Amino acid sequence: MKRLFSILSSLLLMSGIGAQNRFPKPDFESGYQYPDIQHALPNEQLWLYVDIFMLVALMSFVAWAILKKRTRKPIIWVSVISVAYFGFFRSGCVCSIGSVQNVSLALVGHTYILPVSVLLFFILPILFAFLFGRVFCAGVCPFGAIQELVNIKNYRLSRSVTSVLSIIPWVYLIFAVLYAVTRSSFIICRFDPFIGFFRLGGDFGLILFGALLLLASVFTGRPFCRFICPYAPLLSLFSRVAIWKVQITKQKCINCELCHNACPVDAIRPPYENKVKEQRLQGVKRLLMYFVVLPFMMVALAFIMRYASDDLSRAHKEVRLYDMVQKQEADPQDKITLELESFFGQGGKISELKQKVNVIQQDYKRYSTIAGALMGLVIGLMLIKLSIKRSRKEYEIEHADCVDCGKCFSYCPQNSICKSVLLK
Amino acid sequence: MKKIIARNIAIITAIFMITLSIMLITNYFQAKDVSPLQTQVVETLKKLNDQNADNPQLQEQIRQLDLMARKAYFINMDHLMRGVYLLLGMLVVFIVSIRIYFAQHKDIPDKEIDLIDEWAIQSQARKYVGLIATGLTAVALLFVVFSMPFMQASKNNTETALAQKDTNSSIVGNTINEAPSLPEETIETNPVENTGSIESEEESVSVEETPLSSKESTTEEIDVASVETSEKAETTAPVSVPKVTSNAFRGNDANGITQAKNIPVKWDLQGGSNIAWKSEIPRGGQSSPVINGNRVFITGADAQARELYCYDLNTGKLLWTLAAVNIAGSPSQVPKTTEDTGLASASVSTNGKQVCAIFATGDVICANMEGKQLWAKNIGVPDNHYGYASSLLVFKNQLFIQYDNRNTHKLIALNTENGKELWSKERADKIAWSSPSIAYVNNQPQLILMSDPSITAYNPTTGDQIWRVECLMGEVGASACSADGIIFGASEYAKMVAINGTDGSVLWESMDYLPEASSPVATHDNIYLATSYGVVASFDTKTGELKKEHETGEEFYSSLMLVEGKIYLFSNGGKMHIFSADDEFKLLDSFETGENTYATPAFTDGRIVVRTDQSIYCVKAN
Repeated sequence: MKRLFSILSSLLLMSGIGAQNRFPKPDFESGYQYPDIQHALPNEQLWLYVDIFMLVALMSFVAWAILKKRTRKPIIWVSVISVAYFGFFRSGCVCSIGSVQNVSLALVGHTYILPVSVLLFFILPILFAFLFGRVFCAGVCPFGAIQELVNIKNYRLSRSVTSVLSIIPWVYLIFAVLYAVTRSSFIICRFDPFIGFFRLGGDFGLILFGALLLLASVFTGRPFCRFICPYAPLLSLFSRVAIWKVQITKQKCINCELCHNACPVDAIRPPYENKVKEQRLQGVKRLLMYFVVLPFMMVALAFIMRYASDDLSRAHKEVRLYDMVQKQEADPQDKITLELESFFGQGGKISELKQKVNVIQQDYKRYSTIAGALMGLVIGLMLIKLSIKRSRKEYEIEHADCVDCGKCFSYCPQNSICKSVLLK
Repeated sequence: MKKIIARNIAIITAIFMITLSIMLITNYFQAKDVSPLQTQVVETLKKLNDQNADNPQLQEQIRQLDLMARKAYFINMDHLMRGVYLLLGMLVVFIVSIRIYFAQHKDIPDKEIDLIDEWAIQSQARKYVGLIATGLTAVALLFVVFSMPFMQASKNNTETALAQKDTNSSIVGNTINEAPSLPEETIETNPVENTGSIESEEESVSVEETPLSSKESTTEEIDVASVETSEKAETTAPVSVPKVTSNAFRGNDANGITQAKNIPVKWDLQGGSNIAWKSEIPRGGQSSPVINGNRVFITGADAQARELYCYDLNTGKLLWTLAAVNIAGSPSQVPKTTEDTGLASASVSTNGKQVCAIFATGDVICANMEGKQLWAKNIGVPDNHYGYASSLLVFKNQLFIQYDNRNTHKLIALNTENGKELWSKERADKIAWSSPSIAYVNNQPQLILMSDPSITAYNPTTGDQIWRVECLMGEVGASACSADGIIFGASEYAKMVAINGTDGSVLWESMDYLPEASSPVATHDNIYLATSYGVVASFDTKTGELKKEHETGEEFYSSLMLVEGKIYLFSNGGKMHIFSADDEFKLLDSFETGENTYATPAFTDGRIVVRTDQSIYCVKAN
C-alpha cells in the first residue's frame, strides 16, 4: 500500500505540468499587445549532470540489488524514482532509447555535434549491460518502470509467437537509424507512446497507443520493452555476454518451475528435455541451408529496400515538399498547403529543390540498401538461432531477454531457505 | 471482504474508463476537423468587411464571433484534456484496486500453453519467421515488379514537365537578370512623366467611372508642360496627357464606343504617313491594346514567358515589362493552344491605378501604373482547345474574369488592389471565348456575359444574376454590346438577339448575318456587325431589320469601334474600313495598312493604337 501511495503521490505532484495550447492569432487589429514568444530553454548544465548522476546511481543501485542482495524491493523504488524524475520531471528527455538516433546521425553527419550527455545516456546503459546485464531496463528506464509498476498479473504468451515478435525491435531500430542518418525524422521520439503521459499532453493517437500498452502491461510483462523498444536489441547483445550475470539463486536449482512462471518477460528457460527427436544430419543440413540462404536474404532485402528507397525518402520534408510541388504543377489548386505557400512565397526554385531531393534520394538509396541487408541478417540469424539446440538440465535465465526486474528471487524456494538459514 | 471491495471498485472503474474512453474518442473525432475560425458566418462577414472596410459595427460583430469561436474551441479542448486526466486518475484507481485484489496472488505453475518440447517451440517459431520473411519478400518483390515501371513512367513525365518549367524559369530568369528581377527595378522611368501625369490619370479615371452619358466627351488635353519644364531640363517639348481612356478591350466598358476626338482617317504604315511611332512587341499575342493616360498596355507570351508591357503613348518606348513568374499553381508546361489564339489573346484592363493581365496559363497579374507588381495568382489552368481568350474587364476596383472553359464555368470578381476574391459565380454555360462588357440600364450598370447557351446579366457589385436568356449555341467568340438599355448579342451558327435590359425580355431576333469573333457595336438607331466571311452589315435596333450590307471580300476578327460618328474596322489582312455610323452606313474609306491585324485598336484623343501580328504602332495626324 505504501508503494502504491508513493506512485499516486508522484503522479499528483507532477500533474501541474501543463501542455501549451497553440492557436492562430486573430487576423484583425484589436490593440492587444501579444506577449513575446517564449522558447523553451535548453537543459541547464546542472540538470544534465544530475541526469547523468541519477542514471549511474540508479543503475548501480539496481546492480547491487540484483547481484548482491538478490531482492526486488529496491527495484520497485528505483522504478518509482525513475518515473517521477526521468519521466514526469524531466519529461522523458534525454532518454537512452532516443539517443540511438543522435549517435547514428553523429556517426555520419559531419555537421551534427553530439552532446556529451546524450552520448553518455547512450553508452552508459550499454556499459552496465556488459558488466551486469540489463539493469537499465529493470527500473531506470522510465518506460520500463511505468510498465513494471502497473503490472499485476502475468498471462504468458506463446514463445513461438514472442520469438517472431522479437524481430520487431530490430526492424524498428534499423528504420530509426535509417531515418536519423538521412536527417529525415527521429521516429523513436516522434512515435514515443509514453511521452504523452509524462508531458500530460500530446498526440491523441499516441496517447491512446500508450494507454493500450499500459493496459496490456497490467496483464503481461512489459510489452513495449519486449516487442517494440529499439534500444533493447543493443542491450540484449551486451547482456548476453555480461561479465557478472544475474542468477536466480546461488543454491542448486531444484527445478520447481516457480521462477519460470513468475517471470513477466518469459526469460527463464526450462530444462531441455529433447522430447521431439530429430536426426542430427537433418539439423545440420537445415543449419547449413540457413547459412547459405543468409547472404541471399541479405541481398534480396537490400535490393528491395533500395528499390523502395524513393518511397521511403518521402519521410524527408524536402522530398515531401517536392512531391507537393509536383502535384501542384500537375493539377494546380487554388488553395495550397502552408508548405507550398512558404516555398513559392519565398521564391523557392524548383530546380534547387530538385537538386536537394536528388542528394537526399541518393543517401536513401545507399542507407536503405544497408538497412535492407541488416534486416536480412537479423531474420537470417533469427532462423539460425532457432535451429540450434541447447541442452539445459535446470531452469536458466536467458540473459538477452532478462530485464533484471528481480521478480523471480522471491519465488525461488532455495532463496527462502537461504534467508531462513541466515536468520537463524 | 477487502478483496471483494477492491474487485468491485476495479469493475466499476473499468466500466467508467470504457465509457469515458468512448466519449473522449467520439469527442476528439468530432472536434478534430472543426476549424472554429473558418465558419461560414465569419467568412461571409469577413468578405463583407473586405468590401466595406468602414463599418465598425460589422467589425465589432466579427470580433465578437471570433472571440466566441475561440472560447468554444478552448473550452472544448479543456474538456477533452480534463477527460484524459480523469481517465488517468481512473486508471490509477483501477490499478490500485486490482493490485489489492491480487495482493496475495502468486504465479504458480499452470497449464503450459506452449508445446511440450523446446525444440518443437523453436521449430514452430522458425516456421512463422520463415513464412513471414517469405511473405514479406514476395509482396515486396511483387510491388517492385508491378509498381515500379508505372511509377517511373509517371515520375518521368512529371520530371519532364518540371524540367520544362525549370527551362522556362531559367529563361525568364535570364531575362530578369538583363532587366532587373524585381518589378520595381524593371521600370525604365520615363523622364517626361512624373506626378503631374499621374494626377491627370487619376482625373481621367474619375471621369471614366461615370456612365457614358457623362461628360467623357470633353476633349481638352491637360498640358502639364508648364509644370514640367522648369523641373526637368531634358523636357524640351510639351507633353499632353489625353483625357479619354480606353481601359479595356473595345474601349471603356468593353462596349465598342469611344469618345475620342480628332481621330485620323488615313495612314500608311509602310510609308510612315500619320504614324507617330512603331515598336516591336517582345513576345507574340492577339490581345488588344489598352490606353490610360500616356500609357499603352498590352501583353505578349510564348512558351518561355508571359509578360505585360507598358509603352509610352507619345514615343512608343517600352517603359516597363512585368513577367508572370513565381506564381503558385502556374503550370510548368504551358497549355496547348492553336497558333492563331496563342497564350496572350485576352486583353488587359485597367482603372488608371491598377492594370491587370491574364494569360492562357490561368496566371493573373496586376501592377500599378509604374509596373510594380501588386499581386499575382493562378486561378486554375484552363482546359481550352483554342486557348483562353476572354478579355479582362476592370470596373472601379473590381476585376471581372469570364472563366468559361471546359473545366471551369464561372465568373470571378477580384479586388484589383490585392487580388482577393470579392465574389465568384458558377455558371451553367459552356466554354466560350467571349468577353464581359458593361451595359447601363436605367443608369445602373449590368455585367453582360455571352456563352453557349446564354446571354446573362449580373449585378457587378454582388454578382447576383439579373436576367438570363438562353439563345446561343456553338462556339461563342463575339461579345455583347448595348445602347439605350438594350443589350445585343450575336454569334455565328446561332442568332442575333436584342434583349431589354430591364427585364431580360427578348425584343427581336435575327439570323441574317452573324459574327464569328468580331463583336458588334450599337448606336441609338443601328447595330453594326462584321462576319468572318466578309460581310459588314447594319440592322435596325428597334426591329432587327437588316438595313445595309457590304460585301468586302475580307475576313474580320477585329471588332468594330464607334468613333466620332464613324465605324472603324480592321480586316485580318490589315485593311482598314471606315463606315459612316448612320442609316446610310456608307463605306467612307478603306485602305491597306500593311500588316495583318486581328486585335481591336484602342482610341484616345487624336490617336489610334494598333496591334498587328508583328508590332504595335500609333496613328496620329501629323
